[in-house]
Amino acid sequence: MIDSEINPITLEIWWSRLIAIADEAAATLLRTSFSTVIRESNDYVTVLMDADGETIGECTLGIPAFAALVGRAARAMLDRFPASTWREGDVVMTNDPWIGTGHLPDIVVVAPIFHRGALVGFSGSAAHAPDIGGTFKEGPTELIEEGVLIPPVRLYRAGQLNDDLVQLLLANIRLKDIVFGDIEAQVNANEVCRRRAVEFLEDTGEPDFKRLGRAVTGLAERAMRAAIAGLPDGVYRGAIEADGVVDQPTRIACAVTIAGDDITVDYDGSSPQVAYAINSTLNYTRAYTIYPLKCLLDPFTRRNEGSYRPIRVTAPAGTILNPTAPAPVMARHLTGHLLSCALFQALSPLMPERVVADSGGAPALRAHFSGRAADGGRFGQLLFASAGMGASAERDGLSTTAFPTNSGAGSVEAMETVSPLLFLRKAFRPDSGGAGRQRGGLGQDCEILNAAATPIQMVLLGDRERHPALGVMGGGSGAPALAAHRDGRTVPMKSRSLIQPGESVTLSFPGGGGYGPPADRPVAAIETDLKRGVVTTDAVRRDYPMQALALGLK
Amino acid sequence: MKQKTIRIGVDIGGTFTDFVLHDEARGLSATGKRLTTPDQPGRAIVEGIVRLLAETNSTIDQIHSIVHGTTLITNTVLERTGAKIGLLASEGFRDILEMGREIRYDVDDLALEPVPVLVPRHLRLDIPGRLKADGGEFMPLDEQAVRDAVRHLVEEEGIEALAIAFLHSYRNPAHELAARQAVRALYPDLLVSLSAEVAPEIREYERTNTTCVNAYVQPRVHGYLDRLVDDLRVLGFAGELYIMLSSGGITTIGDAKNFPVRLIESGPAAGAMAAAHIARETGQRRVISFDMGGTTAKMCLVEDYAPHIKHDFEAGRLHRFKQGSGLPLKVTVVDMIEIGAGGGSIAGLDALGLLKVGPRSAGSVPGPVCYGRGGTEPTVTDADLMLGYLDPAYFLGGEMGLRDAAAGDAMESRLGRALGIDTPGAARGIQAVVNESMAGATRMHLAENGKDPRDYAMIAFGGAGPVHAYGLAKLLKVRQLIVPPGAGVISAFGFLVAPPTVDFVRGHVSPVARLDWPHVRGLIADMADQARRLLDAASAATVSMRTRLYADMRYVGQGFEVSVGIPAEAIAAGDGGALHEAFGAAYRARFGRAAQGMPVEVVGWRLSASLPIQPISLTRTREEGAEPLRGHRRVDFPDFGPVDTAIYDRYTLAPGVRIVGAALFEERESTFAVGPDCVTEVDPHGHLITTIAADAGTAAA
Repeated sequence: MIDSEINPITLEIWWSRLIAIADEAAATLLRTSFSTVIRESNDYVTVLMDADGETIGECTLGIPAFAALVGRAARAMLDRFPASTWREGDVVMTNDPWIGTGHLPDIVVVAPIFHRGALVGFSGSAAHAPDIGGTFKEGPTELIEEGVLIPPVRLYRAGQLNDDLVQLLLANIRLKDIVFGDIEAQVNANEVCRRRAVEFLEDTGEPDFKRLGRAVTGLAERAMRAAIAGLPDGVYRGAIEADGVVDQPTRIACAVTIAGDDITVDYDGSSPQVAYAINSTLNYTRAYTIYPLKCLLDPFTRRNEGSYRPIRVTAPAGTILNPTAPAPVMARHLTGHLLSCALFQALSPLMPERVVADSGGAPALRAHFSGRAADGGRFGQLLFASAGMGASAERDGLSTTAFPTNSGAGSVEAMETVSPLLFLRKAFRPDSGGAGRQRGGLGQDCEILNAAATPIQMVLLGDRERHPALGVMGGGSGAPALAAHRDGRTVPMKSRSLIQPGESVTLSFPGGGGYGPPADRPVAAIETDLKRGVVTTDAVRRDYPMQALALGLK
Repeated sequence: MKQKTIRIGVDIGGTFTDFVLHDEARGLSATGKRLTTPDQPGRAIVEGIVRLLAETNSTIDQIHSIVHGTTLITNTVLERTGAKIGLLASEGFRDILEMGREIRYDVDDLALEPVPVLVPRHLRLDIPGRLKADGGEFMPLDEQAVRDAVRHLVEEEGIEALAIAFLHSYRNPAHELAARQAVRALYPDLLVSLSAEVAPEIREYERTNTTCVNAYVQPRVHGYLDRLVDDLRVLGFAGELYIMLSSGGITTIGDAKNFPVRLIESGPAAGAMAAAHIARETGQRRVISFDMGGTTAKMCLVEDYAPHIKHDFEAGRLHRFKQGSGLPLKVTVVDMIEIGAGGGSIAGLDALGLLKVGPRSAGSVPGPVCYGRGGTEPTVTDADLMLGYLDPAYFLGGEMGLRDAAAGDAMESRLGRALGIDTPGAARGIQAVVNESMAGATRMHLAENGKDPRDYAMIAFGGAGPVHAYGLAKLLKVRQLIVPPGAGVISAFGFLVAPPTVDFVRGHVSPVARLDWPHVRGLIADMADQARRLLDAASAATVSMRTRLYADMRYVGQGFEVSVGIPAEAIAAGDGGALHEAFGAAYRARFGRAAQGMPVEVVGWRLSASLPIQPISLTRTREEGAEPLRGHRRVDFPDFGPVDTAIYDRYTLAPGVRIVGAALFEERESTFAVGPDCVTEVDPHGHLITTIAADAGTAAA
């Protein structure tokens, strides 16, 4: 496979170092940032780019989908500030959702790398700031309400902090110290990346990253192309519906065209953009198209710009997947996370052994609680908890596991320590996994009591109330999302409501879709599920009638 | 009665059980090795001790103490061969154990294998009863439910041990204690692990998991330790028997049986303790400990003569070197990174045609090609041999001949041809790749701690450590190397230099500004009392106990804590300002910055108490008069290529000797190699201290 100018041993070592450089930058970001979002929900990415803004080393963890976007953002910055104008010590940042990662809290920070007087590359990072001003609204809204928009601007010029800019920014946000601390952490991370990159050039004697960049992106590109070329040419279509916004379901339609070793994903036929915050900018659409495709086609080759070259993503302007500025975009994940489902559905006839059924956590359901604690102080608590993942040919879907994000879960004890919430239950949700030869992953039930003396406000931001995770290859759907009070009153998935003192609400996170016909599920697997109480006998009789007979269930 | 002056360390490994004996009275050190007897690990111990006593003209009644490190716990978890156990959880929370952190440990793998859970769902039962975050009762414990549950688990399911983990028990253990009492009334002999005792820290998943692992290994550990004590008693042993803790301290048999989960890193901790001892002997305050064996390389920071400690550890990983694929535990362990790079690591080409080394290892069977035991895939040891680092006729002191022709053939046929390079080129490639992967892991480990490798010296040991230390040091720009005598077996000496230690923690979340000082003082006094009781049992010596206090602190709202050393006076005076100050300093040191004016909270209190230990010297007797220079051979050094290199017999080098340039220092279990840009001296303890010139050349492309 190799016909590089660099021998395969040196190339292996150098490539490892490119990734180690990005990983060391990530370690610095994690180490020096203040906010929990970056550290606990892995909402960040760090990359090393060549002089053209193409990523040549990307961090191993974080949100892999975003790495490609930092490169794009760097190239947009190069449009604004041509290469000849950059100086050592410059730092440029932006949170423009159309340039960066799709909503205002995500800040992209890019710094140049000079070696022997020449601009040889860029270090870049993106991370989720815990506050960016504005107010989140689950109803109709506009971009300006979502926070401060930062076009590409120089945060540092030749090592000098642009204090006026900082003052202007901080005047418009609430958590000033934390946000500025996190931006500085990104600057630190980029600096570590820059320093290590220069050391690398000194150690190896390479004048710049041209030769090596060509080699590693070439290999990654060829690996991806080889995977695409292995699929038959054709146009493969998938479409899914989501609850969308009030009385207005949204549709995502994709046409995946495979032609030789190129792949084009076009989202023509998807819903027009909406006046709610669930629009996904083309950048975000790209990220959540490329990531699931990479997992599907060529999961284990190290990622870089080369991996993305064979993949083209298009969507008509003015659609929910390519909204025109200034569309509101804060909750763009409610749309973007669903792309993996449409893509996997489209490609399931081609790659039945690789695809995964719809995941209950695509999109993620978030609940935010706020009010007054027992001592009268205000509290705000975001609940991170996961739905079930879709099943695959190889195994049952993972229960309570996020996909396509990887945001994890918080601790009940930790949440109860800082808020008057009292969890009555956090448990697997029986029968929530879609039926199939492989069962969908289980969602969970979180029952939460207001233990305070005053009402608690609950903001729900989710989907899948009327559109559960679908199965593939004949598998059944997972259970839909549901939020309900004890007396049976339900709470919509996109809503703001009150929980009265002493009252509790159960949030039922959806299950993943099943894989393959339920009739093919082995009796032994159903027996184990029954023994463990993750399916009920009623459900077995309904979904697996033949096996129910074999098990003697009446 | 004879004076008890002998201390013995015993390290049970997968293949060998290693022994060290040290007699302070005679200034004598000796080592031994037996094949591990996996069915009955105690048998090898007893036989090995008997033999070692005979070889050193000693008797059993001269033994002051035996310190034992065991891989029983880590292997039981890794191989999932522990007991069948049940879990009692707060009603509505029995699935916490299986939900875990709800993350994917590999974001690229759609068909990820889930981490197997130790207690399947039907053995996890909900018990009504609930405490609040402040420790107050929300709903009383249903003791009848406890009795029904445990009766079911014992009678119907046949569990061998029980874990009990209720919400907020780190704050108030009342419900767990009451539940245990109810269980004992029914089954007095059932082993019960309480989360409030095993890991009294906030965060229900990690605490529950730690408690379950404790229960899971406990029946095996009890059987094993009881038998060992009996066997030694039959032998006439009347000294103290200690077990090595994951933190690098040692503890009593009783404590080990109660909390076996704390022994999970018992073996690896010894190496770090040995490195700390060497750091002290050589006066090096900042050291990277580098231990490379047959399968893995372990790196650890040693500062101010103590290894870095951390309070969480991931055991039993599905993929050994993949973070997140195991069971997170709340235990105090030496903070090390371990990667799949060792002498037996296998080299091969990946799908893209790039050279990869490890993590697959040829182990000891079949072993590297050059062992001639059926290995066919080239390994790191084969490369070391081809490049002249190892003497085919003097491996393991000549006990094992190495076949360099076979190694060369394997390298040629499996790598050289595909890569279009000659055999030495392939061997150089293997060395370069394995050294780079160790360097990358070390850089990351230091970066996570905000440190720069250039500020550190490196202590290298393990069979392959001294062979690769020079190459690794060059990549890290480390300028000083220290290689102790007996570097291949030095880690067992760690058992002899570890102090009796106990560590306690009490979860208690509160903003510093609103700390309930009398309560805090109560927690600390309680931990100190327990420490004293345990250490009294560990040693009759009337030496004073050394106590250190730590607060796990964070900015309010942050999800992670920093353990900060707190002076006892600050606690006595209720000085919140001192806590703030200590936290700010620690935070800055670790993270490079601190926030202004952000409120700080304490999440838990820790107390670590230890007894001083008699210092020992590992100096070995030198073979007087023999000629150190054995000859020369060509060794291929990175950046220099083949260099005619002097070979020294390590055992005959006198303190004060200074050797300039490339050299090999051979001893039985390992060879230390240094390149032409080095100056090496023998210090008074027999350690080789090598300084690498600063202006290293650039690597060739």
